[in-house]
Amino acid sequence: MDVSHSIRERTIAENSLVILLQGLHGQVTTVDLRDESTARGRVINVDAFMNIRLEKVLYRDRRGHVSSMDDLFITGRNVRYVHIPDHMNIIETIETQLAKIHRVRNFGASGGRKEYSKKK
Amino acid sequence: MVVLKSLHPPSEGVRLQQADTTAVVDRKRLGSGTLFVAEAHLSWFDGSGMGFCLEYPSISLHAVSRDLSAFPEEHLYVMVNAKLDDEAEAEQLDKASDDEESDSDDEDLGTITEIRFVPSDKTRLEPLFSSMCDCQALHPDPDDVHTDDYEGEEYDVEEAEQEQGQVQGDVPVFYSYEEGLSQLTSEGQATLERLEGMLAQYHMAGVRNDQPSAQFEGMEVDSNTVAGQSDDADEQRFCTAD
Repeated sequence: MDVSHSIRERTIAENSLVILLQGLHGQVTTVDLRDESTARGRVINVDAFMNIRLEKVLYRDRRGHVSSMDDLFITGRNVRYVHIPDHMNIIETIETQLAKIHRVRNFGASGGRKEYSKKK
Repeated sequence: MVVLKSLHPPSEGVRLQQADTTAVVDRKRLGSGTLFVAEAHLSWFDGSGMGFCLEYPSISLHAVSRDLSAFPEEHLYVMVNAKLDDEAEAEQLDKASDDEESDSDDEDLGTITEIRFVPSDKTRLEPLFSSMCDCQALHPDPDDVHTDDYEGEEYDVEEAEQEQGQVQGDVPVFYSYEEGLSQLTSEGQATLERLEGMLAQYHMAGVRNDQPSAQFEGMEVDSNTVAGQSDDADEQRFCTAD
């Protein structure tokens, strides 16, 4: 659930829908890969390059063979679809993620002024 | 492209190395050796110094597999979107990618290699997995349009606003006299002078307006008395008469 420590990654995330995927941390979902295999598991982390780390994964390869994996890391380039769970409010998720990035950004910039911030 | 040949292990940027690790390439066991998770690439070397080296961009995914029905031992699974075996085949792939202008979906589908690294120490699987994740993140896809979004310093909205001297909401902005003057346009400045001149007419007795008012050329301006016809001025005269 942590915002990336990298300024570059925060900027990239802020400017693309990857920020929605970052709001999926902790959710169980399915990722469809470009080679038509699928992976279903709990999202541990999505970075700005859309690399996805899942745990407790059911992986179905392109031939249909299913195996389970404790931890799976998919390179962003190989992601075709990420399923957003039905119960998730997409706009709210995006806004929450943006707020997190802005909080991290203000922490360094304003020092003591943080106490008077109206944000929450 | 990757080929089994005589290479030396990486000397720098090595995050983790794991000895006593068997490499299995497309179900073919290559024997025991040492796995190196380095920042530049992933490599494995057997006892005789032969080994192979993988570029992170060529790795589609990696995982910790404890599913014994898929493979009889717990291992680190790595899917590479290229063929390891043949140098000839590697050359063929290079030619194919030159022909295609678009993305490499077609060439990827047929050409994957499954590599399994089986360490004798199964407790090392998670650390190996994690350091591979970290190294993979160091190699973002160069074709990805979004990785170019970041250029230079991060844009800080609040910082930018403060620099422009516009603090929104909380704090009212007060100007000192000099600052205020400098904020006026030339039109504003003319208006200010006119208004100040008008005020000068109504000064109390004894209060002198040192600046000659060019606007009142048509009137007699006596610096010792109050100019103008206001009631206040008349009252003042009466007062001083007392």
